[in-house]
Amino acid sequence: MKRKAYGRDAGLSLRMLLTSSLLGLLYVAFALVLFYVFNAGLVLMLVIVIGLAFFQYYTSDKLALKASGAKIVSPDEAPQLHAIVERLAAMAEIQKPRVAIVDTDVPNAFATGRNQKHAVVAVTRGLWERLDEKEIEGVLAHELTHIANRDVLVMTVASFFAMLAAVLTRFGLYAGMFGGFGGGRNSNNNNSVPIWLIVIVVSAVTYALSWILIRTISRYREYAADRGSALITGAPEYLMSALQKISSQMTLIPQRDLREVEGMNAFFIIPARVKEGAAELFMDHPPLEKRLAALEQIAREMGRPVA
Amino acid sequence: MGLRDVLFGRKKLKDPARERLFAISTARITLETELDLKPAGAAGVCFKSLSAGEFVRAENELQELLDAVANQSGSKVERHSDELGFEWLVVRDGDFEDLVATVHLIATELQDHGFGPQLLAALFPFGGKFKEGRVYWIYGFKRGTFWPFVPTGKEQERDNAEELELKAKLEQELPIEQDLTRWFGLFDAPV
Repeated sequence: MKRKAYGRDAGLSLRMLLTSSLLGLLYVAFALVLFYVFNAGLVLMLVIVIGLAFFQYYTSDKLALKASGAKIVSPDEAPQLHAIVERLAAMAEIQKPRVAIVDTDVPNAFATGRNQKHAVVAVTRGLWERLDEKEIEGVLAHELTHIANRDVLVMTVASFFAMLAAVLTRFGLYAGMFGGFGGGRNSNNNNSVPIWLIVIVVSAVTYALSWILIRTISRYREYAADRGSALITGAPEYLMSALQKISSQMTLIPQRDLREVEGMNAFFIIPARVKEGAAELFMDHPPLEKRLAALEQIAREMGRPVA
Repeated sequence: MGLRDVLFGRKKLKDPARERLFAISTARITLETELDLKPAGAAGVCFKSLSAGEFVRAENELQELLDAVANQSGSKVERHSDELGFEWLVVRDGDFEDLVATVHLIATELQDHGFGPQLLAALFPFGGKFKEGRVYWIYGFKRGTFWPFVPTGKEQERDNAEELELKAKLEQELPIEQDLTRWFGLFDAPV
């Protein structure tokens, strides 16, 4: 995929590369340890985890939509929203993704889908009602940059070994409790450390380290999406004000009537967070001040007015 | 919760602490002196209307209850139904402390008669000399907390900025609902 219009931040690219290679190194080390310590069962486990990863990757859009309760809307149902997405997609040079709305007061947005063809961009009703059009454009451009950057793919790959490590840790714990990995006890003499213990420790360490690295990559990709949004819309100040509005306390206060909510007997229907697979606007995001500072820098470079 | 409750999975729900309602009586002074907000001389208790089966029994008891309350407190109590299918008991009393006491009495009576789960909220309107429209304090019986509610008058719009200011000003005096996502409004109430 060509990447041209999204601008460059040499430092950011370098940090991304560094973190990614660290993560890759960690995974190789993890795989080696696994391979040497025990080879039986490994194939099976790999098959399971690869299967899971593929499942997650191929269903990421459906999973995210299900988990968030988002509904795909047609251009007739939400003409204004579709028009904005269409315009921004053209500017970002990607296919127009499907558009979905989540019926909740919490202002939020996310993008999901393994590639441009399967991409969905979703906004919540709260976001639509509370932000003005320019700010919504800023947020949507951020999400479209996630799609253009293929962040779902990146995060799926990045979290693959973390998943494997998590599965193994649990597996190792059960095996330890109920009698070892496939006859591992017999081949071991009593003096050495049991295999399952090694597996647990290595897996747990891998999991912890990769968790941190994944968060870091995720944060870098947020900065990249903010930058993309600034370049697509040409006006980072609207994304800045959107971020400030979204994170302010006010947006927590619901707009619904108490009786309406009580009548439906559905106090807390929608989880505010969306599961993995979605590059959600507020998951694993860098702190607001840092994002605003970065955007301000971009705005200055672009010669935009900043408050 | 004791160890045995944990072991046997007996989770006790916190008692909603009915007495917390009285906090509004003292908060009223701050509201009046610092924010120029005076009580509007009325308050409402909102509860879910009942299913048809319960209706006849409840209807009689409710009427008895209203008569008893009127006798005891000297406040005027009216009944209203709203278009969302909820019942309101609107209390009118020039004396704010009596007003709060009557609201408390009604809530207690309703709970004693088994209407506790239906009891939704109490609504206390305030108004200012220099202010158009009203400021409300809503008391949620389930959690025993207050939250501010300032409708702008335009459809279902509310002035969140002023609500947060009210929260900040009265934090010391009122048990304010800290979970802002529970600050549901009560639009077009008959109070």
